[in-house]
Amino acid sequence: MIGPRSWIFQVVVRFAFFIINVFALYLLLRGHNQPGGGFIAGLASAAALILLSLAIGIEALHRLIRVDPVRMAAGGLLLALLSGAGPMLGGAAFLTQFNWHLHDLPLLGELHVGTPLVFDFGVYLVVIGICAKIIFVLVESTEGLPGLVVEEERRYSSPLEEPIEERPAAGKEMGRDAD
Amino acid sequence: MPPVSLLIAIFFPVLGAALMPALGRRLGPRTGWVALAFAVVSASMVASFIPQAQDAHTHSWPWVPSLGLSLTFLVDGLAVFFGLVVSLMGVLVMLYGTFYLDDHYRDHGRFYSYLLLFMAAMLGTVFAGHLLLLFIFWELTGITSFLLIGFNHETDASRDGARMALLVTSLTGLVMLVGIVLLGQMAGTMELSELLANPPREATGLLNIVMLLVMVGAFGKSAQFPFHFWLPNAMAAPTPVSAYLHSATMVKLGVFLCGRLFPVFQQCEWWMPLLAIVSFGTMLLGAVMAFLAVDLKAMLAYSTVSQLGFLIGYYGMAPARGVDFDYLHILNHVFYKGSLFMVAGIVDHATGTRDIRAVGGLWRRAPLLAVIALIGCATMAGLPGTTGFLSKEYMLKEVFSAFTEHRILGWYALVAIVLTSFIKVAFSARVFHGVFFGPETEAVKHHFHKPPLGMLVPPLLLAAACLLLGLMPSFLGQSLATLEVTGLHNHAHGELHLWHGVTRELLASMALVAGGFLTYAIVYRIHLNDHKIPALLRWDVGFQRGLDGFGRLTKRVTRWLRSDSPLDYLPVMLATLTLVVGGALVRGVGASLFDGTWTLPDALRSMTAGLIIAAVLGVMLLRGWIPQLLCLSVAGFLVSFYYVLYRAPDLAMTQLLVETVTLILVLILLSRFPGSTEQEECLRPLGVGRRLLNVGLSLGVGVLMFTLVAVFSREPPANRVGDLILDRTVPLAAGSNAVNTTLVDFRGLDTLGEIAVLVITTLGCLGLLMRRKRTREEYRAGAKGPAGMGLEQAGLEDQA
Repeated sequence: MIGPRSWIFQVVVRFAFFIINVFALYLLLRGHNQPGGGFIAGLASAAALILLSLAIGIEALHRLIRVDPVRMAAGGLLLALLSGAGPMLGGAAFLTQFNWHLHDLPLLGELHVGTPLVFDFGVYLVVIGICAKIIFVLVESTEGLPGLVVEEERRYSSPLEEPIEERPAAGKEMGRDAD
Repeated sequence: MPPVSLLIAIFFPVLGAALMPALGRRLGPRTGWVALAFAVVSASMVASFIPQAQDAHTHSWPWVPSLGLSLTFLVDGLAVFFGLVVSLMGVLVMLYGTFYLDDHYRDHGRFYSYLLLFMAAMLGTVFAGHLLLLFIFWELTGITSFLLIGFNHETDASRDGARMALLVTSLTGLVMLVGIVLLGQMAGTMELSELLANPPREATGLLNIVMLLVMVGAFGKSAQFPFHFWLPNAMAAPTPVSAYLHSATMVKLGVFLCGRLFPVFQQCEWWMPLLAIVSFGTMLLGAVMAFLAVDLKAMLAYSTVSQLGFLIGYYGMAPARGVDFDYLHILNHVFYKGSLFMVAGIVDHATGTRDIRAVGGLWRRAPLLAVIALIGCATMAGLPGTTGFLSKEYMLKEVFSAFTEHRILGWYALVAIVLTSFIKVAFSARVFHGVFFGPETEAVKHHFHKPPLGMLVPPLLLAAACLLLGLMPSFLGQSLATLEVTGLHNHAHGELHLWHGVTRELLASMALVAGGFLTYAIVYRIHLNDHKIPALLRWDVGFQRGLDGFGRLTKRVTRWLRSDSPLDYLPVMLATLTLVVGGALVRGVGASLFDGTWTLPDALRSMTAGLIIAAVLGVMLLRGWIPQLLCLSVAGFLVSFYYVLYRAPDLAMTQLLVETVTLILVLILLSRFPGSTEQEECLRPLGVGRRLLNVGLSLGVGVLMFTLVAVFSREPPANRVGDLILDRTVPLAAGSNAVNTTLVDFRGLDTLGEIAVLVITTLGCLGLLMRRKRTREEYRAGAKGPAGMGLEQAGLEDQA
């Protein structure tokens, strides 16, 4: 965002960023039994990203996150899809979920794990990836920068098309033997 | 012979089609040899079915059991005959294409990929043993034909021709689908073998309609009137495609369908009049237009239309005991038209033009080519010694006997056939004389280069077949007789003979030949060669105008409904909503709404509601976007407080986070606008009436929503889904958070769909946000090519 950046704000946000993300992971992991889940965790992480972009500036953030967030989102989608397709190998229906309750693990004690977590992690990645991309593009373009870097523009741009009304007049001769 | 060979015949080309693009990049023009190998394997597999073609065999593999759809293939004489035509022509065309598509062409891999795919689709269509399977393959041939016609997609003619072919054939195909489904309902089965064995026995109204619907599909595919106009425009395809799809195989599908369903439809009272009137009319029209055209390929295309008309009409006039010599007529056309198309391609290749006025005198430069063309044209004209002569003799014989049986229709058919034969002789002479005789033109003098010898082999083989089989009629007749099908064919017909003595057919035929030559000689003398097709017959132009007009219409409608001016369309939607739902509510609930007692909620809830009302009032009364947005957000946060009160922590958390993120994003967006926009400088001021309308609509929607909530919350629903999920979340999903188990487990597919939509929407938005689009050249350069940023141009020039 435009405007002078406060040093205190920057330092606080650098700490808060990690705390919020840890909290987001906590939300993600407890999701199956307590309030939480992939979508909420993704939004929390996105809020953390927004804070960070306000504190250190979008260009610095861009340098920090080297991977294109859309790839992250696509990866999340793929993960969710694979976690759904996995059971099909064993003859189960698409998106069958499995849960295990493990007893007497060293250090952790009792642990409840299941495939829904993998699916939820996919959702988490999609939400955070998409939010991050929207933030990048919007903030950059409001700061007068091109919304997408040249490399990305190749990836997302479509070919130039002529509007319909600029085509030559309708009913043009089309056969070859009309002269 | 295990039926696996059938699967190989049909699906081996598909495998080839998948491999071709990769091979094409490496091999270039030599890709054709690999494609040829695939076609040869497929053809040999089809040929292995000849010995068992006397009886019909059905082979079935399960496909979609829930729809009752299986991969059922019916192997009988008709299927094997068409399968042989398709696969052997495929071999010849691949061979021809290897020479035709030289280094001047790009994307060889793509071309052969489409061609092999087409071949597979054709074989699938002719061998299909289930009506729906037949339809699927039928449409697949249309799609591959679209891709092949549009192969040179840089030119307008290719794109227009491809679009026209696709629209005509697929729309008529859809009509056919309706007919097929109805036929399946009437007969109680869609299996062709059962259908042919027990056709529906009622020759009354409904079967006539079904027949009409199915025949629309056949007419569209075979370019019969009134769909005849697409075929000449499909000639924008490379010539191997024209020779293969648009003369020898795909356009014959209509003929094939008539033959396939002949036992079912022959009893219909409309069958004979419909087929005879439409097809013989098309035959005459096509012949006239072929004589008037000047483009070599267009001439051949119109003559194809004409011949297809004859073939379909032949089935139409056939008696109930079965047809006699349909294979002869089909094969004759495949031979001569295939070879003539290939000759036209060679002429185009060698001189750079297909205009018959711009070529001439090729006789001395390419004598072998002239011999091939001579045989082709002689067959087309039906001169003795060729298969064309046999075809014409037997055609005239049947017509002479038919016109005594069916009075008016017989006369009509006779006149049409006689006139067509006459014109056909004339334009056969015109094609041959125009290309190979006369003075050498500029194009020939300057551009001519000798065609490669290998390119002459496929048309030479076809021409040799015309001549040799024409001279050995009994051999031809016996071979074809082995493929005849009970129900379609009359087994009792005699053998083919070259000489019947001096009969009225022979006399008529001689008169026609003499008359045709004379006509061409006269036309040539008085320089009528430069004529063109009158505008009245150019339906393709009209079709194109119609398409353009449709485009303009949709554009106008889109402008009217455009989504960037909600002020225009929102009032309509809101008013409709208020009137329809509100009206239903008044009628359904009415005054009983006010019956019960109304109590105020407790203090905490009342306070929250009051705060929300205050926030909304702030949105309405405050000036300036940022305060308005903040007020709206406050309302949103307060709603999440309601979720807390009703103990829905997941919803509350989601609402809080969504509110936060959207608030920030919208704030960022608003900072994009210049300050003057906020002062409503750009908006046109609204009149008093419009303002009142807006206020009324807002109030109406508000009251409606309030009433709806009041109605629905009066009594709890009898069957609550929520309780069901709450009960089952621990035992079934092993999680105690019902919201989350619903999201990831019970309704996991919904969530998956939603995140997929999220990703797709984002990608679409990114494409739309692009300020600058890449030009076609840049786009074609691929993902690594230069982006459309003007900034980069400087860098590129530096490198160069």
